[in-house]
Order: sequence, then C-alpha cells, then structure tokens
Amino acid sequence: MLSGLGALLLATAARAQAPLALPQAPMPPPDDSAADDGGLVDAGNDSAGYTPPAPAPAESALHIDGYVDVGFAKAQGNGTSFPRQDIAVPADYGVDTFAPAVNARGDVASTDPGDGRFLNGFLPRSAGIGGNASFLLNTLDLDLRYQRPGTPLMIFSRVQFLPRLSAAGDAGRFLVEQAFGRLMPFDRQELSISVGKFDSVFGIEYLDNEAPIRTGVTPSLAARYTTGQSIGAKVFYRLQLGAIGSAVSINAAATNSGNMVESLQAPDASVTGGPVVSARLGYELNLRPFQLKLGGSALHGPRNDQRDRKAMQKMAGGDLRLFVAGVALSGEYVRVDEDEGSGPKLTNLGTFPLASGFHARAWWGQLGYALAIDTSSLQKVTPYVRYEWRHAWFDGFVPITVDRLVGGLRLDLWDALIIKGEVLINRERAGAPNVPNNVYTSSVVYQW
Amino acid sequence: MVRASLVRACVLVVGGGLASGSISVAAGNPAGGGGNPAAAPGRSWPADEMPLPLAVHTPQDLAVKAVAERQYLIFNLLAGGKLAYDAGNFAGAAAKWEALLRIPRLDPEVERVMRPLADDARARAGGSPSSPGPLPAPVAEDEQPEVTPPDSTAKAPPRGAAVSVSGTVSGGGNLGPGGTVIWLKRADGHTPRPAPARGKVISQRNKTFLPHVLAVPVGTTVDFRNEDDIFHNVFSLSRPNDFDTGLYRQGTSYTQTFRKAGMVQILCNIHASMLGYVYVVDSPYYAQADANGAFKIKNVPPGEYELETWNEASMHPTKQRLTVGPEGVRSLVLKVSGDKAAPTTLPDKSGKPRQAHLGY
Repeated sequence: MLSGLGALLLATAARAQAPLALPQAPMPPPDDSAADDGGLVDAGNDSAGYTPPAPAPAESALHIDGYVDVGFAKAQGNGTSFPRQDIAVPADYGVDTFAPAVNARGDVASTDPGDGRFLNGFLPRSAGIGGNASFLLNTLDLDLRYQRPGTPLMIFSRVQFLPRLSAAGDAGRFLVEQAFGRLMPFDRQELSISVGKFDSVFGIEYLDNEAPIRTGVTPSLAARYTTGQSIGAKVFYRLQLGAIGSAVSINAAATNSGNMVESLQAPDASVTGGPVVSARLGYELNLRPFQLKLGGSALHGPRNDQRDRKAMQKMAGGDLRLFVAGVALSGEYVRVDEDEGSGPKLTNLGTFPLASGFHARAWWGQLGYALAIDTSSLQKVTPYVRYEWRHAWFDGFVPITVDRLVGGLRLDLWDALIIKGEVLINRERAGAPNVPNNVYTSSVVYQW
Repeated sequence: MVRASLVRACVLVVGGGLASGSISVAAGNPAGGGGNPAAAPGRSWPADEMPLPLAVHTPQDLAVKAVAERQYLIFNLLAGGKLAYDAGNFAGAAAKWEALLRIPRLDPEVERVMRPLADDARARAGGSPSSPGPLPAPVAEDEQPEVTPPDSTAKAPPRGAAVSVSGTVSGGGNLGPGGTVIWLKRADGHTPRPAPARGKVISQRNKTFLPHVLAVPVGTTVDFRNEDDIFHNVFSLSRPNDFDTGLYRQGTSYTQTFRKAGMVQILCNIHASMLGYVYVVDSPYYAQADANGAFKIKNVPPGEYELETWNEASMHPTKQRLTVGPEGVRSLVLKVSGDKAAPTTLPDKSGKPRQAHLGY
C-alpha cells in the first residue's frame, strides 16, 4: 500500500518538472485550493434576489427631481444674427431672424444690435451676453411628481427659474413649464390621458426639451415651431404588434395654442377661444439588430398670436429615428404656414401692430454615437453632428434661407452630471447678408 | 532523477527545518523524522499556496505556469492528504483526497489508487482520528469502483475548515441596505471560479422587474419571463454584459448568460419606467442582504479576503480587507453609502435618455 502511494507521489512529482520556484514562506492553506484547477466551486451560496417592499400608501407619493444647467458661451459679432440697418423684414419681425442659440432653451446671445433699433425678430429670448464670452445660468429646474403607489393618477409640475439680463436690466423669470394630471386607466393598455399644461405632441424634438435629455447643447432651427408647451388635453395610446416586432401609436392633443416656443406664444390664456388640434402617428420597429421609429405629425388651429379666429396656423411634419450598431440617426422635417392676421399680434414679449403671413420649411438630421465607458465615473461619451436647414419668408418679402452645422461632445458622469461642448456654424445661404454669428457654447448639467 | 526532483520540491516547500519530514513523504514514512507539519500546533501543510509565484513574461511562461500549478496541486493534495492521514486527521485527509479526485482529467492511475484511500479516510473520519491505522490495501484491478467523471460544477468538498461570514449592512440612503450584494475575493491566493447558479428567473410583472436586484455568479443564465399581458423587451447597455432580448409576449421567456463580473442595469425599451439590476460576482462566496440588511456567506475557507459590496444607491462599490478565522466571522457590520440618487432619466436602447416619469 505504502509503496503504491509512494510510487504515485514520485510519479506525480516527476511530472511537475522539478525546477520551479516554489514558495519560500508558505501561507496557511486555503482549503478551496481543491477546485482551483479549472474546477468550478459551488459553495452553497445562492440569492433569490431582492425586491424592495411595496411602500405604504402614504409613502413615496411625492417625488422631487430637478436639474441645474449652467454654461459658458461666446457668440461672434455682437451676439445677434441681424445686420444693422437691414430692412428686409416687416416691422413686426424687426430683427434677428436667425439668431443662433447658445443654450438648451434656444436663447440667443443677444437681440440688441446696439443702435436702439426696434427688436423682436423671430422673438427669441435673449441670454443678454451680446458678443462677450460669459457664464450663463440657463435653467434651474424643479420637478414635483405626486402619485400614490398603485393608483393610476399622477400629478406633475415642472417649474423653472431662468435668470436673464437684457439691455433694460434684469429679465429673469419663473416659468411653469408644465403642470398636468395624467390618468393611465388600464394596467394592460398603454393609454394615458393628460389634462393641463404639457409638452407638444408634434414631431420628436419636444422629447429633448430639457438639458439633461438633449444630446447636444442647443435645439435645432425648427424647434421654435414644434417644442412649445400649451394648455389643454391630450391622449396617448400605443398598440404593440409584437408578432412583427412593431408598435403603432397616436399622440393627440387639443390645446389653447400651438407648439411655438414660449416667446412666440401668447400668454397661457387662450387668445381666440378656439382649440388648436395636433397629433402624431407613430410606427416603431423594434428588432434586436436595429430600431426604427417613424412618425407623421400635423397641427391645425387659429394663430397663437391673433384674436382673429380666421387667421390659421397649419403645420405638418415627418420624423425618423434609426438606431443600429450604437449609432443613432434622427431627423425631422417641418412645414409651417401662418395666415396673415387682421389684428395686433399678442406674444409673450408684448403686443405688436401687425401680424404678417409667415411660412417656413425646415429640416434637421443628427448623427450620434453613444460610447459606453466601463468606469465608475465617466459612463458615456457621445460625439454628435447635426445639420439644419431652414427656408422661411413673410408674405411679400424675400425668402431667407439659412443652414447650420453643429458638432459637439457629450460626457455623462456618475449618472448625475453631464458636460457638453458644442460649436455652431451658421450660414446665411440666400436672401440675407452674411453675418458673423457662429457660436461656441457649453453646458454643465447636474440633475438630482 | 525522479527522487531527486521530489526531494528538491519538498524541501523547498516546507523549508529547511522540515527537510527530513519532506523526504519521509517520498520514502513512505511521513510521520517520522523531524516533525509532522500537519500535526504541529500552529502549522499546517504549507504547500497549498496558489497560484505559484512564477514570473510570467511570455505566453510560454504562462503555459509553463499553468502546467506547473496543475501538477503542483495534484502533488500537494496527494501528499497533504497522506500527512493528514498519518497524523490521524482523517477528515482532513478525506477532504484533500476527495478534492484531488474532483480535478478534471485526472490521471486514471491516480484515480485508481486514491479513490479507495479517500473512501477509507472518509469512513475513518466518522471514528476516532487519534490512532491512525494502516492504509487499506490497494483495490485489485477487477475490483475497481466505477470511475465517475469529474463534475466541474460539483458541490465543494466537505470541508471541516469552511466557515460562514455573516453580518448586517446599513446605509443605502432612502432605498436602504436591502439587496446589497456582498462578496469575498481571496487576498492571499486565487479565488475559485464559482459554479453558475441554476434556476434564476427575473419576471416582468406589472411593468416591473421581479426581483429588482439579483446577484448571480459568473456564467449564470437568467431566464427573463414576461408575465404581463403586454409585450416586453429587456435590454442592457452595461458592457460587457450588454444584451437585447427583442420583443416577446406574455408567457414567453428569453435566457441570457452573464459571463463577466459587474453591474448589469436592465431596462425595457418599451416601458421607460422599468429598471432592475443583475449583479454578477466572480466568486463562489457571495450573498445578498435582506430588507433589514442581514446577510450570510456560507462555506468560506479561512484566510485573507477582500470584502466587496455593491448597492444601487451607492456611487461606488466598497472594498475592505477581512480576515476569516477558523471560527468564521459573525456580526460583521458594513455600511454602504446612499450618495447615488435614483436615476431620473433612463436610456432607451440607443443610449438616449428618456423621462421615465413622463412616459417618454
């Protein structure tokens, strides 16, 4: 017996190819060494997983989120896009037809050319920095959401503080961007009904309204027509067609005004008393290799800024989103037509004597690649480029065509911090003189 | 030449002071000479340390090291079991020899000789270990038991030394410590590869993932089951465990194997509010805290460990040194931070953030 084991040890040792540097100061034996050699150890540990206990009805009903968006921007020239003494536009659109945005809200560096000229143009909001480089506190956002666990009703409000300076001084303001109740009556159906002040249903860029969501820093040239909030009711319904990896959806709204951004809207009260109806029909193809989303949108109703109910606004558009192999392509086409109004124009910036007929055709396309980074701090790097084109005219005036090339980089850190940098190259292609109005802008967003 | 090699190896393993004992192993007289490492107080068979401290600079070095470690392990288990047997530690001998017999692709000769010895040691472990008896005679060729192929996912051998590590986790912010994943990695050697867990399921029910957090060892396949009346999708952007199930209907499922360690955030491309986690550990010594933070890791061999934790509310996983003694560790107090807020935006499968609370 002993000889057998001894021989075995000898043979085993012989296979070990003796000249190995064996440990000089061995450690106490780990008994699990038995399975080190390619074996798998089942130590009997197991986990059934963990699910947090359902909160008591009174708990966790109120959720408070928000973000702060600060930036640093520099615009060429005097911060406007309008050449001095230009008279190519009607009096109700005095200047700044194509002011380039410097932040996520679409604010421009300035609407003041410095010579006291009447200003409103396309009615952009001004960040008040002119042609100087400056830090900006773009948005301080607070979201309140109340929903008792297990109930189908949610109440949501989004309040924002927007500190601004203008030539006249402090122009900061609070904005109740959204405030609505949403009912989802069926567990098994994707149906929601919302009443209050809420996002547009037109196109896809409203999805990017907030700085943490938007891939880049600034909105597109078309965003001022499609991303405004208004008051009314909306219904969303989606039907999954899983057998073909698809879904169809409809998002429809009847509101007191259209989708123009805040400065182009009249105050929140309905001006005409007539509703503006809008809707988007969507189709999604969700396959493992790629995802495709298509949509068609339309809007019809009285102009936002007229008491005359016969002056209508009409919009139509199409959108596309394609995701494949980490690359996200998105784009949108928008067509805008506004009848000439008979009365004064009422906007969020004041009352103006004329309301010219207006038309715009615009599209944009964006290509981005979200590179996931496997570190605890830097989680994602997203380079992106966007091209935008807009052709617009007032009745009786020369059409003006501009385009914009945007490039930037977004860094997502710790699930809470986003850093973005962006360059906007603005070009006046037809109907307007070239103006030095390129923009270098950046944004740091912290969300909680 | 063979004998010289063995002597050299053993002398180096146990050190100069134990040279005669080492030689006696090869000579078939393990209890004699200058001492018995297995029986000496405070000392034990010292040659189990793995991996071997062999320099690796080239692929050839790595191959040599792998071969050497395999043979080294076989030798250690053979000889260590013998020393334990001769010292009357039959349970120890049985554990080492049974472990030896679990090594994949073991030489049939070793198998033939050692299996009856291991059985004998196991039988004696139930009796008095104080008076070592003679080793059983080798089994005749025609009496050999049927050789069972090594089961690479077999239960770890019975081990008298294995203990448990238990305690309580606190912290985790508003979410609390429940679901915290705790695992041990050897600090003084190689952490064994864990056997995959079986029967792991994450359901999609009422537009939630159940369980919300699931800890699994590397290599585990998880069955994602749709128990809702609507279609679901499950995807993850957490590399290298990223995956996408596509759409699937009620009553159907999709399996996904998680081959790399780390956190895997799971989402639904259709329902923006759905969020869950799979945490993949590369150690067989792991546990998940219950709602009160209590946890217990079983069958941990004593030694030096790095104890690591992960909680979804913590910005960073924690890591700390832990010594596991012969009695195990009880009432361990751990704290995880709650400095990571629940995400307000969850990405779709293109990585684009969505406002989950608004449904888009």
